[in-house]
Amino acid sequence: MQVTRYKTKHNSSSNKLIKYLQRLLPILTFLVLLMVWYWVTAMEFYPAFIVPPPTAVYETFSEAITSGMLIEHIETTLEEMLFGLLFGVTIGLMLGYAIAKFPLLEQILSPIIVAFQSTPIVAYAPLLIIWFGSGTTSKIVTTAVIVFFPTLINTIVGVRSVSPQLRDLMRSLNATTWQMFTHLEIPSALPMVLAGLKTSSTLAVIGAVVGEFVSSGSGLGYLVTLARNQYDTPLVIVAVLTMTAIALTLYSFVAFLEWRLLAWQRRSRH
Amino acid sequence: MQRLIRLSIVLLSVIFLVSSVYAQDDLTDERILLTFIPNVQFAPFYVGVDDGYFAETGFNIALEHLQEPEVVDLVAAGQANYGIVSGEQVILARSQGRDVVYVYEWFQQYPVGIAVPASDNMTTMADLVGKKVGIPGRFGASYSGLTTLLESAELSESDIQLEEIGYNAPEVFCLGAVDAAIVYVNNEPLQIHNRALAGECGDIEDVEIITVASQADLVSNGLIISADFLAENPDTVQAMVTGLDLALQSTINNPARAYLTSMNYVENLPDDEAFITMLNTLAEEQDIFLASEPTRDEITVSRWAMRDTLAETFDPDMITQFEVLLTTIDLWDADTLGYSELSSWETMRDTLLSMGMLDDADDDLTMAFTNQFVGDDS
Repeated sequence: MQVTRYKTKHNSSSNKLIKYLQRLLPILTFLVLLMVWYWVTAMEFYPAFIVPPPTAVYETFSEAITSGMLIEHIETTLEEMLFGLLFGVTIGLMLGYAIAKFPLLEQILSPIIVAFQSTPIVAYAPLLIIWFGSGTTSKIVTTAVIVFFPTLINTIVGVRSVSPQLRDLMRSLNATTWQMFTHLEIPSALPMVLAGLKTSSTLAVIGAVVGEFVSSGSGLGYLVTLARNQYDTPLVIVAVLTMTAIALTLYSFVAFLEWRLLAWQRRSRH
Repeated sequence: MQRLIRLSIVLLSVIFLVSSVYAQDDLTDERILLTFIPNVQFAPFYVGVDDGYFAETGFNIALEHLQEPEVVDLVAAGQANYGIVSGEQVILARSQGRDVVYVYEWFQQYPVGIAVPASDNMTTMADLVGKKVGIPGRFGASYSGLTTLLESAELSESDIQLEEIGYNAPEVFCLGAVDAAIVYVNNEPLQIHNRALAGECGDIEDVEIITVASQADLVSNGLIISADFLAENPDTVQAMVTGLDLALQSTINNPARAYLTSMNYVENLPDDEAFITMLNTLAEEQDIFLASEPTRDEITVSRWAMRDTLAETFDPDMITQFEVLLTTIDLWDADTLGYSELSSWETMRDTLLSMGMLDDADDDLTMAFTNQFVGDDS
């Protein structure tokens, strides 16, 4: 009996240690990459203007933050991303639901939607600038266009994945259309919709930045172009890393949302 | 006897083939990094390759198109030996640790200007106060040119409403979304002019240009190499500059022939048979004219006479790109090709300082360029 108790205590401590180390892994990976980067620059495999040392990038980051320049560009890109997400996801959800419920609509709209989405955004971004102007509107439209498709597809799949048996059960209980929608279709489609939202959240950065590359006076994409034309490689890296951080933050937020909203699903499995 | 003749023919053929292969092996494979996209504005390089000027000086040339910062970085890093960029890129790049040297000034006049509707009576910079001016972006030759124009009129950016419009000047200008637009004087104004003629430019009937070159001498597009390459291979650099110089002079002297050569490199140039036939005729006539050793002014007149001849027969759309070439040639032409003045470098540096793009004026500008390979100095 004592041996068993000892083994239980030991297993519990080991599990905690393993979980702790697992949480540290991303940080350890980051540190290793940082060390490799520093080593590459210290060994001077490439000129400093091609691969600047981490210290130069950090100094540039500090200057950009304290001067307020980086915050200003982040605000512009965030505004374009968030509004673009709002419009693109809303339209994607509404149209996705309509297409899921009315197959005829899918037959009519699918060719147009697929053709539009198959064309790389960089090809028609200049047209969007001409049509919507060089301000934030065109970038919001670019972002909305790019996030629309994953939301649409995942909504269609999610709504169509509703179990026919559950639908029959609801009908047999005289559920109204609204009750079917709120108590059946939304919970059933939510996992797929949130998966689509995770994809859309990372694409939103691309949409905003592509628009800024083509024509802008502000934003992280514009900052990359400006830094590139001023031969300021550290600033290019600062802008790129900032975009990455924004994309990761947005993705993590959606993942957290998914974890909270789908708690019932985890409980039902256990 | 017949057998002997046949054997001689075979031997001579073999000798010829071997010598051709050997001659090809004598040529050094090189890349010249250009910017933008294939366009008639790069005619001297197409002429240099197709008409053998680069081969004459020992090079088998491949042309590539990249963005200016990439051209500079590749040359500075030794991953390419030759590039074409604007002068302000050299000053900016050197201030950021890229040791490149400008060895041949291709554009003798700065190609940037401000396009304004002809009917709006905006003929000076002062007329643009409070107006909306479109610009590709707050960088590059466009921004340097605008800053120079503003300073020449004792104005600043706050006196106008500057709007980034990307490389969409003709469309945005004709839509009336801006009152004026920063353009490359040899290209966009012609497009706007033709759209206006066709009634496709809103209320705008024609366009006028306020040119940077009329206000200041700024160093423009030219050939760059890395300082290391220059130090180790001066003879090779001289050969490249000589080839480019010959090709440029040939293009300036006979734009009809240069345009025909450009058709091998630039897609979508008008290829109407009658148009090509007339270009060939003009090219041959120009060769005869050049044999009489005309002056530079006479050659200038003869170039534009070609345009007039073509305009009598063909629609404006057909000859637009030829006009682009002629307008661009006017920016290249000079008594001594390739030569750049220290004063033009100093003016450019001062412009970059006032734009806040340079932190200090420490770099010795005489190290940024050299005329040792051009004119009487070569």
